[in-house]
Amino acid sequence: MQLTHKSKAAIMIGLLPAFLIYAVFAIYPILQSFYYSLMEWDGFTDMTFVGLDNFRNLFEDPLFWNSVKNNIYVVLASVLGQIPLALFFALLLNRKIKGLKFFRTVGFLPVVLSTVVISLTWSLIYNSQNGMLNEILRNIGLGVMAQNWLGDTKWVMAAVLVTVIWQFIGLYLIIFLAALQNVPTEVLEAAKMDGASEWTTTFKITIPMIWHTIIVAVILCISGSLKTFDLIYVMTNGGPAHSSDVMALYMFNETFNKLQYGYGSAVSVFIFFFSLILIFIVTKLFGRKLI
Amino acid sequence: MRALKFLFLGVVVAFVLAACADSEETQSKEGVIELTLWNDWTEDRPENTVYKDIIEKFNAEHDDIEIISESTPHDDYEIKLRTQAAGNQLPDLMRVWPGTRIEPFVEGDALLPLNPIIDHWEGTIPEEILQDYALGENYYAIPSNVSETSLIFYNKQLVSEAGFEEFPATYKELKELVDSLNSDNVTPISVGNKAIWPLQSVFISGIADRYTGSDFLHNVLNEDGTFENEQFINALTVIDDLTKSGAFNEDMNTIDEAQSRNEFIKGSTAMHFAGSWAIGPIMDSVDDLENIGVAPFPSFEGGEGDASKISGVAGGGIAVNSQLSEEEQEAAFEFLKFYYSEELFQELVKANIIVPADVEMDDSIPEVFKEANSLAQNGLSPVYDATLSPELTDIINNGLQSITIGDTTPEELAAEMQAELEKANE
Repeated sequence: MQLTHKSKAAIMIGLLPAFLIYAVFAIYPILQSFYYSLMEWDGFTDMTFVGLDNFRNLFEDPLFWNSVKNNIYVVLASVLGQIPLALFFALLLNRKIKGLKFFRTVGFLPVVLSTVVISLTWSLIYNSQNGMLNEILRNIGLGVMAQNWLGDTKWVMAAVLVTVIWQFIGLYLIIFLAALQNVPTEVLEAAKMDGASEWTTTFKITIPMIWHTIIVAVILCISGSLKTFDLIYVMTNGGPAHSSDVMALYMFNETFNKLQYGYGSAVSVFIFFFSLILIFIVTKLFGRKLI
Repeated sequence: MRALKFLFLGVVVAFVLAACADSEETQSKEGVIELTLWNDWTEDRPENTVYKDIIEKFNAEHDDIEIISESTPHDDYEIKLRTQAAGNQLPDLMRVWPGTRIEPFVEGDALLPLNPIIDHWEGTIPEEILQDYALGENYYAIPSNVSETSLIFYNKQLVSEAGFEEFPATYKELKELVDSLNSDNVTPISVGNKAIWPLQSVFISGIADRYTGSDFLHNVLNEDGTFENEQFINALTVIDDLTKSGAFNEDMNTIDEAQSRNEFIKGSTAMHFAGSWAIGPIMDSVDDLENIGVAPFPSFEGGEGDASKISGVAGGGIAVNSQLSEEEQEAAFEFLKFYYSEELFQELVKANIIVPADVEMDDSIPEVFKEANSLAQNGLSPVYDATLSPELTDIINNGLQSITIGDTTPEELAAEMQAELEKANE
């Protein structure tokens, strides 16, 4: 089976079905929404070309900027919350501790749960009248700290972000654990022979050796956060009064509730470029060429 | 080896092509016209069984027509319909909602007018209810039920313990009841406003009509009047007033409508404001039916509306796709005539659904239903989200929620609605 240098054509043919499917279901729709974003279209009647009007309206809508702001919170919470915590737990679990499998399973559990289940469960926990969180606070004498977590514009984003972080730590935990297990033991042993402390080994050897994985995780994290939709849709539906709206939710409501398919496409085009730029900045910042 | 590779590739390609080639067949059996009917009858509710039974009966009695029912859960149904419409892939028959909610479909020429057969229901269904599904000169669907959106369900025991033998008939008394319940530590009114429509569809449809009268909404939308009308602002202020007097459950903006109904059924709140859709579920689950009463919204001092009216709108209509062939149209008409029959209305009444036709009721029908049904006889006033454009609905829904958390004032909301209306009318 020496396909590689025998013929590129065979590779091409092999890739063709996958590429076709990808082109039809991913690339073509993206191009199509570029086209729709220049139109005014309610989904039923004929489209009319309006140039960049959709984008102008979009940039003038304070509700949109509000959703961008909330979305940036989600990105920050994910990158600064999920990644460090996941790395911390991965480093802990990488030591030969008892019950490793148990902790790993527990950590990964939220990832396999359906987002709807997670959202509903957390909504119950946060419920202001009989939710678990407020009950605990009241029972330990901290009743004054009990809040209407999801019903108060001041707290709703914080409450949602905690759930977002909780949901995906497990995913990065597993990714980091896999990477840590690939760090060659010879290197670590050599470091030990040279008298490096655990602390130095971790920061000078282990983390640099899995740096690539960390960057990939950060990129996954950013693109995932920009697509956040289902969790917030179920937990708060963007409310109260748009205080937990994110871009994808804004796009969904504008498109399907207000029947503005052209405007909605403009929002998705914005999200597309916003993600591209953000990921470009991150890769530049860390100085590695990954895409 | 090479032959094997190509064979494999061939299989893959064949698979992909087969998946794409899901052609649009309408006539699979020879001579039988198949019509697909989309609906939202997924829940296990008595009326859904009624609808499905009638379709089954129709299929059994007609060898040449086959109705195929496809159900989608209610909350996703309209979004699915709108998405499919954008792709020009609507089914042959589809459940639709009246007023502004069918307008885009009509403007896009997606629906077939039912004018050729509308006389069939003359004398059965009153003209003004048929009008809910009409736009201009054309009728697009036949209603099977009437949704009242502003009813008050109350727990007789809790209300009488608070010192009220009769349910309050004026807003002033209602406020006293709220205060009295609060001092007994009973949540007065359970609301589930997470999906943001209940405060508008249930509360404002009822309250605003009491203040402004039933012509107000129609007039404003036709540029005769403004949302910044004092009476309309009074109506919005009621929401603020009720919130501030502690009438609602604290978690009102984080639970959905069904959850708030369950709180009422459990007996932990004294009142629940909802539409006729709640009658069935409440009567099915409540322990003591005798303990549940139903009342219209109270009257408001200074209001210009008719306090005996109730906000409501026709529902249950099935529209026909405009792209059917002549043969299929005939079949669809035959189905509609069979479906919207005396039998349907009678079965629906047994399932506690308020119907647009006059149906005899025997003693087995519970009081709560009879009461709610009689309220519809004094005339229906407009329901806000069945009348406002989607944009305005979105603004008032969010605005009312903002009022409950103190983020906006009734005056600001009215001004915002007026601004949107003027923008749309330009």
